[in-house]
Amino acid sequence: MNEEQKKQIHEKYQRALQKGERFWPDSIYKDLVVSFGIFILLILLATFVGVPGEPKADPSDSSYVPKPEWYFLFLFKFLALYGQLPVIGKVEWIAAVLIPALVLIGLFLLPILDRNPRRHYSRRTLALTIMAVFVVSMVVLTILANIPLTADENGRMTLPTRLQLWAGLFLPAAVYILLVLYALLAKRIGPLTGRLQVWTAAAGSAGMLALMAVVLAIAPAPEVAESRVAGTLAEQIAAGQELYALHCVECHGDDGTVTLIQGVEGLEGTVVSPINSQDVMYTFTDETLANIINYGQQSLGMPPFGKAYGGELGPSEIGYIVTFMRYSWDDRMEMPAEAVVSLPLPAPGEAPSYDVHVQPILQRYCVSCHRAGKENGGLLMTSYEETLTTGDYAGRTIVAGDPNSYLILVINGTPITDPATGEVLIRQMPPTRLMPPEYIDVLTRWILAGMPRTAEDAQAVSPTP
Amino acid sequence: MWKKFYAWLDERLGLNDLYKATLDRPEPKGNWWNTLGSASLFLFLLQGVTGIFLTVYYTPSPDHAYDSIQYIMNEVAFGWLIRGIHHWGATLMVLVVFIHMLRVFVTASYKYPRELTWIIGVGLLLLTLGMGFTGYLLPWNQRAYWATTVGTEIAGAVPFIGGFITRALRGGEDLSALTLSRFFSAHIWMLPALLAGLIGVHIYLIVKHGESAFPDRED
Repeated sequence: MNEEQKKQIHEKYQRALQKGERFWPDSIYKDLVVSFGIFILLILLATFVGVPGEPKADPSDSSYVPKPEWYFLFLFKFLALYGQLPVIGKVEWIAAVLIPALVLIGLFLLPILDRNPRRHYSRRTLALTIMAVFVVSMVVLTILANIPLTADENGRMTLPTRLQLWAGLFLPAAVYILLVLYALLAKRIGPLTGRLQVWTAAAGSAGMLALMAVVLAIAPAPEVAESRVAGTLAEQIAAGQELYALHCVECHGDDGTVTLIQGVEGLEGTVVSPINSQDVMYTFTDETLANIINYGQQSLGMPPFGKAYGGELGPSEIGYIVTFMRYSWDDRMEMPAEAVVSLPLPAPGEAPSYDVHVQPILQRYCVSCHRAGKENGGLLMTSYEETLTTGDYAGRTIVAGDPNSYLILVINGTPITDPATGEVLIRQMPPTRLMPPEYIDVLTRWILAGMPRTAEDAQAVSPTP
Repeated sequence: MWKKFYAWLDERLGLNDLYKATLDRPEPKGNWWNTLGSASLFLFLLQGVTGIFLTVYYTPSPDHAYDSIQYIMNEVAFGWLIRGIHHWGATLMVLVVFIHMLRVFVTASYKYPRELTWIIGVGLLLLTLGMGFTGYLLPWNQRAYWATTVGTEIAGAVPFIGGFITRALRGGEDLSALTLSRFFSAHIWMLPALLAGLIGVHIYLIVKHGESAFPDRED
């Protein structure tokens, strides 16, 4: 740029200032309006959308699918697509380092690289079309970020994967090459160059968006792993109680008092110390308790529960169990009022229903053993159908209206014996300690009422409406 | 009384000169798109204020980071609001900075005499992304942990010095307490200091050259 051009630019700018406004108050007023609008938007987002909960970091859980912050997704997807390319896709640094570095250097040096002195958009079609295609491809890559790249049984890319490669890599690359070619050949093409660039960029962008739409329509939806995250103390205690009921009750009982394990495969007759005593609560810190659950105490028979050691629990979940134990049993802690949740009991005369009354009881006292993979006489109790149809004695365990259903007998402390040999077929349930009488009553009434499933079913069979 | 007080202050601080130099400037006819730069500045300040509040309770150690954020969200009065604004403010800041950059590109405001303003602006964009990257790890949740694992791994693809970069970012072979304290320090001291300094230069250049005018057909 020569001095003459610089002088022109300055003179033009002075003329624009003459016709313009003052920074204070004309321009700053607009700035304040926009900033204030952003502030309000942020308060609304914080209040009504909030920050999504996530479980605590678990370095042992390598099955977790990493997801970067949304504004890095386009780069993430670009790397993933690039990795699918034959041969060149194996040279990771080209996509991870070289290309981003070139883009960044281009961005930094833009004022020096762009030697075109014109500013009006009609004179800058090359720069504007390249940027437009770049932005569209960023959007496309971001939207496609969650769509998995898959191969069929022969190891070849599936159709959605190939379409993604076209939408995210090949098409934009082809458009960039064409745009630069037009600019290089501008002298030969003549005044049509600009129009050709605009049409190519528009067609390329439309093609990328169309391919993206097709991929979204035909690609399998990505799996969304749900993990429960408890926020408040009350939620943590409730989550801890559920996890305790599932994993701990079979050996330690629903209140941690068990001293002799009964009815657990491999641990029958093992002596344990109660885990709810003040001795334990005062001398074991939260960290100790978490470690015991995580690593187990294998010489004493307790298996590890942490995911890193072959168990099922992550750090957040172990933390919830510890919180539940601490607040339930430690007499220095006070259970927050909103955390006290008693199981729902039906009114006198009302028939209990599975959904409302029975399922929570089964969940707390029975499912710990009566789920797949445990020694439980084949009886599974994780759903309504399972509860009614599974088990070695299905057909006699739960019989509508029959007070001699095996289930009613064993939860009242009467074991089922073989009449011929006197051998105990089913012991009392739960094996170590019976449930509180009100829960025994609920299960008994439920069977007598014919095992209604939903609250409506129960209402239909209730003797008093 | 007020006038006397103001005159006394002005004599010593040069308030009138400051007013003339920074606020009472002529400008080309404005446009709503021109507000995005000041909106970015506003978001930077807001992130600074909410971030400072968050450091009151946040603990940058793997044992306590997660719980301290749970505490901020559930126990601290309006902690959820401060964290919510900081969380969404980050998202919005990246978005606003990016659109601001696009606006400058479309109106070709990066051309003479504002080349340096653009170059520093690209630096600001990178630092903003760096703030997003380092801030993402701090909650020490699953998402944070594994995203940072992958993010620092990508740096390892740099030929020859990649392994060194990854180890320098992580403070060792794996993500650990050291990674968290490094990211924390970068997030609350190093990057914001650089950002604030470069923002100062950016604004000085804007005042020096004036806001660019929208190009017309002659430009």
